[in-house]
Amino acid sequence: MTHLANVVQWFADPAHWRGSDGIPNRLVEHIQISAEAVAIGALIALPIGIALGHYGRFGNLAINISNVGRALPSFGLLVIAFQVFGLGNLPVLVALVALAIPPMVTNSYVGLREVDPDVKEAARGMGYRELAQLVRVELPLAVPLVMAGIRTSAVQVVATATLAALIAGGGFGRYVIDGFAQQDYTKLFAGAVLVAALAMATELSLSGVEWLLVPRGIRLLQARAANRAATFKTA
Amino acid sequence: MNSRFDSSRFLAALAALVFVATACGSTGSGTPTASKGTLTVAGFNFPESSILAEIYGQALAHDGYTINYKLLLGTREVVAPALESGQIDLYPGYAATDLEFYNKGAGEANGDAVATTAKLNSHLQPLGLTALTPSPAVDQNAFAVTTDTQKKYNLSKLSDLAAIGGQLTLGAGPECPTRPFCQPGLQKTYGINFKAFKPLDTDGPLTRAAFKNGSIDVGLVFSSDGDLNSLGLVVLQDDKHLENADNVIPIMRQAAASAEVTSVLNAINAKLTTADLVTMNSQVSIQHQDADAVAAAWLQQHNYNN
Repeated sequence: MTHLANVVQWFADPAHWRGSDGIPNRLVEHIQISAEAVAIGALIALPIGIALGHYGRFGNLAINISNVGRALPSFGLLVIAFQVFGLGNLPVLVALVALAIPPMVTNSYVGLREVDPDVKEAARGMGYRELAQLVRVELPLAVPLVMAGIRTSAVQVVATATLAALIAGGGFGRYVIDGFAQQDYTKLFAGAVLVAALAMATELSLSGVEWLLVPRGIRLLQARAANRAATFKTA
Repeated sequence: MNSRFDSSRFLAALAALVFVATACGSTGSGTPTASKGTLTVAGFNFPESSILAEIYGQALAHDGYTINYKLLLGTREVVAPALESGQIDLYPGYAATDLEFYNKGAGEANGDAVATTAKLNSHLQPLGLTALTPSPAVDQNAFAVTTDTQKKYNLSKLSDLAAIGGQLTLGAGPECPTRPFCQPGLQKTYGINFKAFKPLDTDGPLTRAAFKNGSIDVGLVFSSDGDLNSLGLVVLQDDKHLENADNVIPIMRQAAASAEVTSVLNAINAKLTTADLVTMNSQVSIQHQDADAVAAAWLQQHNYNN
């Protein structure tokens, strides 16, 4: 209990809210590296997942390859990237991008595959060209799953960006690594709390983005489906 | 009848054996008529300790002692009890670290090698052990700069940093801002206030990389580290003795520390320098030469020709 009080006191100390080792600066560092990693990861993963899902080919291959990627330990990758690129943000970015890619490939592939073939046929019948069909019909329908992939990636990346501090990087991981080295367990715990809070905030804000991106019609459809399910359950 | 015959053959055989033995003895190596005694030299489980043990051992062998080596024996927790029980006779120690080992971490060590050694001996005495004269060679925490930085500011010792600390970034393990031998010590003892601190590691790959890409100007290293030269790093002299005196020092059993052994080892110790340690460590750790050959070469340079 005194431990928890120490952590509260740590957050209350104004010295921990300013300077290069202050919470605001560490927050910016943490968000920056995470956002860069997710953005680069998305630029690589989404086109692959969407294309494969749209054409329905090589899906198993892509998913298997990206699942192997999931098995790669981020720490190992970080150490190897450090050997190659030296000190700085680049090795951290390499490790985090590799972590971000697999969920986005898998989810966007599945999202596009799950689009009802009848709907695709109807779009064709209405005269949509292939690209228009993909952008105006398939993608909107796939948004919930694609966004779930991005969300999963982002939360994992935010949690894992803590490792950056192991190779002299910034972010909230600094508090964890420094707290451990200095046997300052209050600082360590405060760092862990900050990382967890940021991961949750990421999850919530991306849920908000998803809500905005999902077309109103589908939202209504989902709501009705949910209501229907509830009705069935009570009946 | 039978027994008499047998005993005469036995005597003949014995005479032949004695003849062969003396013949062999006279055609043998020659110079040392007899060994002055047998000594067992041990070393810790790291290359520098093997080099130092070989130097001590080979110098004593040169003087006529028969030497057994127990190199890479283990940590101090293994080596010290072996010394106390007489399984080994001596090992190359480090004044401050050994003091803090034998006094169970009482914090008596300081930057003065002579005072630290006197304290160490007061703890060794009751155990039947003794520490000889500390060498000028030290393996301790030290602060290094690149040769470029050294030339730019004309630096040779830590007190030179006091005036320019505000322009420099210090790099060390993340614990440095809270350890008395590190950032707080530099501030208190030398009045150095650095522009920034970068949390890295203690003389590991992060510190090397940070020196290389210029993100730190001053970094924590070990003074006898073998690759300081090849990395273009210069250790600044600890002129106000912030760091504990981890001078190389032979620690041995009193029973084995005859006047002759003591004088041989003290003569060696007086000639050994930290720069020698850096060179020999790099020969063993980086160029993968054998510790015994490196030690022999050092002894040859100092006119101990075996």
